Formats: sequence, C-alpha cells, structure tokens
Amino acid sequence: MRIAMKLLSACMLFWLVGGAYAAGMALNKVEVSVDLPALERGADTVIDTCTVCHSLKYIRFRDLAGLGFAKDKVQAWRGDSPMGSVIASKMTVDSALLAFGAVPPDLSLIAKAREGGENYVYSFLLGFYAAPDGMMTNHYFPGTKMPDALGIAGVTDAAQRALLEQKARDVTSFLVWAADPHAQERQTLGYYVIGYLLLLTTLLYFLKRRIWARLNTIQQNQHKE
Amino acid sequence: MLSRVIGWIDQRFPLTSFVKRELTDYPTPRNLSYWWNFGFLAGFVLVLQIATGIFLAMHYKADVNLAFDSVQHIMRDIKYGWLLRYLHSTGASAFFVVIYIHMARTLYYGSYRAPRELLWWTGQLLMLLIMASAFMGYLLPWGQMSYWGAEVITNLFGATPLIGDRVVLWLRGDFAVGDATLTRFYALHYLFPFLIVAMVVIHMVALHTVKSSNPSGINLAAKDNIPFHPYYTSKDFFGLGIYLIIFCVFVFFLPHLFIEPNNYIPANPLVTPLHIEPEWYFLPFYAILRAIPDMLGGVVAMALSVVIFAVLPFADRSSIPGGAHYRPVFRVMFYVFIVDVLVLGYVGSQAPIGFLVPLGQIATFIYFATFILLPFVSKAEDRWLRARGLPPELQALFEQRPPREKWLRK
Repeated sequence: MRIAMKLLSACMLFWLVGGAYAAGMALNKVEVSVDLPALERGADTVIDTCTVCHSLKYIRFRDLAGLGFAKDKVQAWRGDSPMGSVIASKMTVDSALLAFGAVPPDLSLIAKAREGGENYVYSFLLGFYAAPDGMMTNHYFPGTKMPDALGIAGVTDAAQRALLEQKARDVTSFLVWAADPHAQERQTLGYYVIGYLLLLTTLLYFLKRRIWARLNTIQQNQHKE
Repeated sequence: MLSRVIGWIDQRFPLTSFVKRELTDYPTPRNLSYWWNFGFLAGFVLVLQIATGIFLAMHYKADVNLAFDSVQHIMRDIKYGWLLRYLHSTGASAFFVVIYIHMARTLYYGSYRAPRELLWWTGQLLMLLIMASAFMGYLLPWGQMSYWGAEVITNLFGATPLIGDRVVLWLRGDFAVGDATLTRFYALHYLFPFLIVAMVVIHMVALHTVKSSNPSGINLAAKDNIPFHPYYTSKDFFGLGIYLIIFCVFVFFLPHLFIEPNNYIPANPLVTPLHIEPEWYFLPFYAILRAIPDMLGGVVAMALSVVIFAVLPFADRSSIPGGAHYRPVFRVMFYVFIVDVLVLGYVGSQAPIGFLVPLGQIATFIYFATFILLPFVSKAEDRWLRARGLPPELQALFEQRPPREKWLRK
C-alpha cells in the first residue's frame, strides 16, 4: 500500500495545482495587504469611485467601524445614512440599465466570484487600454462596459503607473477583506486549533503505542511456550 | 450508586452485555493496518456533518430570494457561522475522500468477498445515499454552479424512455429548477442523513456478524484476534487526530478550495456559465457520462459505473482468499483501476476537446473492462498461482478444509 499512499498524495497535489491554472490569460499576481492603512485607502477609493455604479450589499458601515477605521472616516463615508445601512450604489438600476445596458455587479464577493480571485480583480483594474479603433477595452475582460476607473490606459510615466498599481492593490485588498471578513480571525484560530491537535495527536500516538506494547509482551510469552 | 443504576438498567435492557459484546470485547484481527481506520472516520465525518448541518439549518432560508443572502448572513453575521459553514462544506469533500479510501481498501484487500457480500452492498447503498445528499446539499447555497449543476443533473433523467419529461418535472416540481426544487432538496437534504444513520446501523450489524477482514485475507484463528477496546479504540483515536489535523488545515486555511468561484455569484437562470462542472467527487462518473455520445447511453453508463461495484463478490472467482496480498495479478488490476479513475477525474474536470475525448473513452472502456475481465483473470490467476506453488500458510488452509466451503462451515 506504499504505492497507494504516493498515488493519493500525487492526486491531492494534482487537485491543488489544477485549480490555480484554470484561468485563460495569465494574470498579474498581487500581494494583498491586511494592514489597516492599506485597507482604509482601498475603502476610500471603493466608496468614492466604485460605488458610483457598484454596491457592496453585504457590507454595512458598522462593519467598517468594527474593522477599526477611524470614526470620522466612517462618518464621512456614510453621510446621512445610519451605521446599520449597507453600502449602496449611487446609481439606480434604471439609470445603470440606460447607461450600460446591464446592472454593474455587487462587489461584496467579487474577489471570490471570479476565476483567479484577487489576481483577477487586480489585473482587471490595471488591464484597460485603448484599442486601435479608439474604443476602451480590457485585456482580461474584452468588451467590458466598465470605464477605466483608475485611468490606467495611456499612462506611460513609470512613477504615475506605480502610483496607480498601489491604488489597485489597495482596492483589491479591501475587496478581499469584504469577500471574507473573518479570514484573519479564521487563520489565527486555525494556528491554535492545529497546534492543539498536534499536541493531542502526539499524546494519542504514545497512548496507542503503550497500549499496543502489552500485546508484544503477550506474544513473546506465547512464543516461549 | 452507578453500579446500582447500571444493574437496574441491565435487568431491563442488555446494556452491559451489549457494550461488552459489540464494543469492548468485540474480537478484531490484530494485524489490521491503518487503512482500516477509515470506516470509523466515515462515521465521525457523518456525525460532524449532521451536527454542523443542524446549526446551519437554524439560520439558512430555503427560498430562491433569500437562500444566497442567508448563506452570506451565516458567513458574516452569525457568531462562528463561517466556521460552521466551512466545516460543513469542507466536510462534504472530506466525506468522499474518506469513503473512497474506505472503498479502495475494501477492493485492495478483497474485503467484499464471501461472507461479506451484504456488508459490501450496504456500503454501496450508503455511498448512493451520501451522493444523493451531497448533490441536494450543493443546490442550497443557490449560487450559479448550484443552480446549473442541479439543472444539468436533473435534466439527465429526461433520458428515461417514454416518461422522461414527466420524471424531470416530478423531480424539480417545476419546469425549471426553481423555488419548488430548492425547498424539496432542502427537506430531503435534512432527511437523508438520518436514512444514512439507519443504513450505518445495518452496515454495523452486518460487520459484527461477519467481523472485520484483515490484510492477509485469511480468517484468523481465535488467538490472533484482540479485543476492540483498548487496542482499536486507541488506534482509531490516534487516526482521528491525524485526520483532524489534515481536515483543519483545509477548513482554516484553504476553505475556498472546494467552492467554485461561480458559486459566489447568485443563481441566474438566464446566464449559463461557460463550463458547468460537478464537484470533484463526481468527476470520474461525469467523464463516463460524457464519454458516450448518446445521452441515454451516457446516463446508463454513468449509473452503471456507480452500481457495478455490487457484482464484485461474484466476479472475483479466485479460490485464494483475500485481495492483493497473495494475488499479484489482482494487485496490478487494482492499481490500473485506481489510475484509470484518476484519469477519468481529470478528463471530467476539463472541457471535452481534443485528445481528452478519446482519452475519456479509453478510460471508460478500461473502467468497465476491469469488471468484465475480473472473473476470467481471477480464475486464470488462481490456476497460475497453484501451479507455481502456494505459500505454506495457504497450503495449510486448503489442506484443512475444501476451499469452496471454507467459510460456510464457520
């Protein structure tokens, strides 16, 4: 059964790797940030720019305050709406349909809802370019109705480009948080759980060995007879 | 005091004698390897799925307008809701990993052979029930893949001759997958685990009648059996620890591995995803479905591929006891079959284009050929092994009693 064990682990690896390579065009990899200032910058851009058209219907202003953003910052974002209200789009469904012919997707889960996850969001934000016919399009979503929100198309200056890349990274970081707000808590708890299980399993192993050792003594006695 | 209470119970209910006979003193072969841990693990996974499922059901809403939001409510607002949900969604995959290994062990060591046919068949029924539960549970988050997976799979029943359309309508409760489908799948997804528990009890009764097989395949003498407790309780709990470590790595660090990106998009009957793909545990069967160009033929082949394991006790005609331990040809067949299933899984996960089409067909052919060839191969192998000379322990076994009736006399 040694071979079976190897087969099994090979198979597991296969599934792990298989998932990562499913997307079409190679995405730019992004290192999302989990520190508060980056998330706050990202939230700023998302709420100022993205929510002109998009909503984040699973995120309430209360959640942003709970994350640890400054009170007056959250205050400025929410305006007159109560803490318990969700981040709505500033555009009505009718005007969206009129402008784009489609309703822009909700962004709460967007970092999970696309093949490639955060890398897709990041690549898409920076993927705009002007086609030869002058129309704006995107490397990762040809024919998208979304305008070049960050204004990356046509930027040639390296310093300015780096600035926009930073902005895209912050937006992506915030959206990654929004898609799975308990991720940090989950991982922290995970280390404790795994640590506890390692300890417990080690003890169980020695317990098992000790119990089975009795069997060897019995067997040896039988051989002597 | 406690002994008096137990005494009181024992006069009315065989508590002590039952625990003694079926658990603590239950005779178990001493040479079981760690591959024998997976039955216990499957039981553990079942209990965990039921426990997490009941708490998820307290917050979930089976309504097409609320289902997706209610899952997000669980993930975001309920205390440790994310943990319950990830335990449950990862647990579904873990369940299949465990029962597939449990089945592979049964195949490798020939544990399905007489007198364990009923044990094997009740296991088959368990697998079918688990598959049905998993399929219905997958609809509940009401994401795109949930919806389209259910749409495609229920549609397959349309291949039933004459009454196909009516069967599909009956399953869905509507002309397309919708609210009626969601509510009935939810009701059945809550019912099925308890049917599984009942079937597990039957599986255990069968097991305790015929007792565990062992790696050698030879029925052991009484002196080679050891009491289940404390030997196998300690071994099972150590195995459980290892299992939990691996499981928790996935739950806490890789929970999205088993959730399709498409399923984070709410179900939309008007937008078909580019590539509809079932969960990984159905992929080999899905590949068999697609390997046959005709729809009815494909459905029949897929159904057959799941239930064909039931013929194994008859198909294996060797007089050499057990599985791969004494039978090199059987061992080769086992590995060919496992590799073949992995190939089918890969083919099932890809769009059916290019060389993958013939590859899937060849793999499907090998899949069924294994079962069809087994009666002849096992017989030929038997003759070859006997001509070559059997090891002394088998020699002794056959001298003791005629091979055909060796288990009937027990």
